[in-house]
Amino acid sequence: MKMNLTFHPRFRLPLLAWILLALMGAAFVIAMVRYAVGIGAISDLSNAYPWGWWISFDLFTGVAISSGGFLMAGLVYILGVEKYRPLLRPSVLTAFLGYIMVAVALLVDLGQPQRIWYMMIYWNHTSVLLEIGICVMSYLLVLAIEFAPVVFEGLRWKKLAHFFHKFVMPFVILGVVLSTLHQSSLGSLLLIQPTKLHPLWWTAILPIIFFVSAVAIGLAMILVESSLSSRYFKRGLEIHLLEKVAKAIPIVLATYLLLKFGELAWAGDLGYLFTSGVMSVLFWAEILLGVVLPLIWFSFKRMRQSPKALLAGAILLLLGMILNRFNVSWFAVKHSDPLTYVPTFMSNVTYIPTLPEVFLSLGIFSAGILAFGLAAKYLPVFEDEHSQAHAPGGD
Amino acid sequence: MTEITHHAYLFDAVRCIACRACMVACSTENNIEMDKTRIWQSGVGVKGEFPILQRATMVYHCMHCNHPDCLSACPVGAYSKRPDGPVEYDPKKCIGCRYCMNACPFGVPHFDYDKGLIEGAFIDKCTFCPQRIDVGQEPACVATCPTDALEYGDRDELLKIAHARIAAHPERYLDHVYGEFENGGTSYLILSHVPFSELGLPDLPETPVNEVSEDVMALTIPFALSWGAVLSAVAAGVQIANRRSAAKAKVTEPIEAKPEEQTK
Repeated sequence: MKMNLTFHPRFRLPLLAWILLALMGAAFVIAMVRYAVGIGAISDLSNAYPWGWWISFDLFTGVAISSGGFLMAGLVYILGVEKYRPLLRPSVLTAFLGYIMVAVALLVDLGQPQRIWYMMIYWNHTSVLLEIGICVMSYLLVLAIEFAPVVFEGLRWKKLAHFFHKFVMPFVILGVVLSTLHQSSLGSLLLIQPTKLHPLWWTAILPIIFFVSAVAIGLAMILVESSLSSRYFKRGLEIHLLEKVAKAIPIVLATYLLLKFGELAWAGDLGYLFTSGVMSVLFWAEILLGVVLPLIWFSFKRMRQSPKALLAGAILLLLGMILNRFNVSWFAVKHSDPLTYVPTFMSNVTYIPTLPEVFLSLGIFSAGILAFGLAAKYLPVFEDEHSQAHAPGGD
Repeated sequence: MTEITHHAYLFDAVRCIACRACMVACSTENNIEMDKTRIWQSGVGVKGEFPILQRATMVYHCMHCNHPDCLSACPVGAYSKRPDGPVEYDPKKCIGCRYCMNACPFGVPHFDYDKGLIEGAFIDKCTFCPQRIDVGQEPACVATCPTDALEYGDRDELLKIAHARIAAHPERYLDHVYGEFENGGTSYLILSHVPFSELGLPDLPETPVNEVSEDVMALTIPFALSWGAVLSAVAAGVQIANRRSAAKAKVTEPIEAKPEEQTK
């Protein structure tokens, strides 16, 4: 008997998808261990360091890099700049997935994740975290509504798609308001720690500084995601649009610099710029990488017109700004002094994120990338039927 | 003892002999697990040169602030402040976000890192023994302290006692009652012969650390409403302007409007 030994797999997945699935599986196992035996079993978090990697990476960085969605929605719908419509859907999708990732990560970090909905019934109106929680939950709903037409178009449910498209405007306005609130409130979250956060970062205008930097991060993310998706999905790059996006970056960054150094001068904290050791180094690293260099970079027309330079400049900005989020929420937060403050059960006074902590975030991130890939493949994310044959401001 | 309108502790670092009896009494009274505690101690070690040696111990409780930062920070209102002093925590509301731990300038609230979902991971901290003080007894730690380093009473009375003790022995005490004004006043008052920073206490202003945070939060709703109104006005203005220019375009070039109708 002759057998056909050639093996034909039913599902052929690219290598990248396998890696992403493996990371997701690892994250799932880690999350299950955490739910079974506690946060301490998989993380280095302690009473001295109640917040760590998950807050800095998943919450602070995750929310910041999802800010492209509200910028594009505001630009296209509210200001009626129709020519940016090709960038709208990918930005909204990135934001939607980004916020889902934030929510999933917080469900691991919370002590009582099953009570997350308590934020909707027990309101403590002085709590910044309540504002962030409510804004993020509502904004997830808004993003779902903004993205719904894409899903229904993909399913060819034209009427439903049109229905959602028609009534999207109030939700776009709500989305911009919610985004403004919680992007700035992430900064306000640190206002309650004036004695713990280093004076180079603590200021009463933290919310404004956070909002301005979120705008810069959102613009950079639009550049990055357009560049990467044009490479991966082998579609054309909207360089004429991206050039204009890049042109706005120096203006935003200059505002940021003025606010930041103006506040430091006004508060009399300029002395810390060179006298705080590691803190001064971290401060200059984030300012140079995330603000000064991209400001100069994107001021040159040559840089704005080259796809490679656009991507490089945006990555530079993101690295610096992500360092800023880590500084504010982790590196520059002073914790109890181990020499004078060593309760027996609080002996863990250093914090280094463990591998499971990092892999949990990587797993969630992998799920986001996979979901973006699937959406881009099966849904009309990059081809908006309203983008060509449409008069400005029609809907 | 006089009628107590504001429950408070007075801790005297000069009298403390670091026997840890308060920790044991607290854990027994409140049925705390063996490897946990609501009170903890730290010492600055022996200082000075023989024969003039000095050591100091600090006993940490919840400070029961007059303007508690944990209460200000908690998103779901799991904390409450009794009008007569104690700051209470309700595990039934807690979602385990640990923002209170970040907010507290004294690092008091601590968390069950070794508990899974079924057991439930909660915050724990000194409760001021309401089961005892509400029936006229002293908190367990105070009742057990062998040297009267920990005392309990009305806040105003204790402040008088503290200042009288400083006046009687100015060579023994620093002329400052920690907690009288720090962070807007606390219900745990501290006397010491070594600088308070050496006891691990933060240098705090008289305004509570949650002041700026609460001021900014109060602006949220007005800001959200006015920002929403501005955006709506802009959106409406842009729509009207676009419709006018589209109507003009239709009059001049009626053919161009047709494919648009079809896409709809």
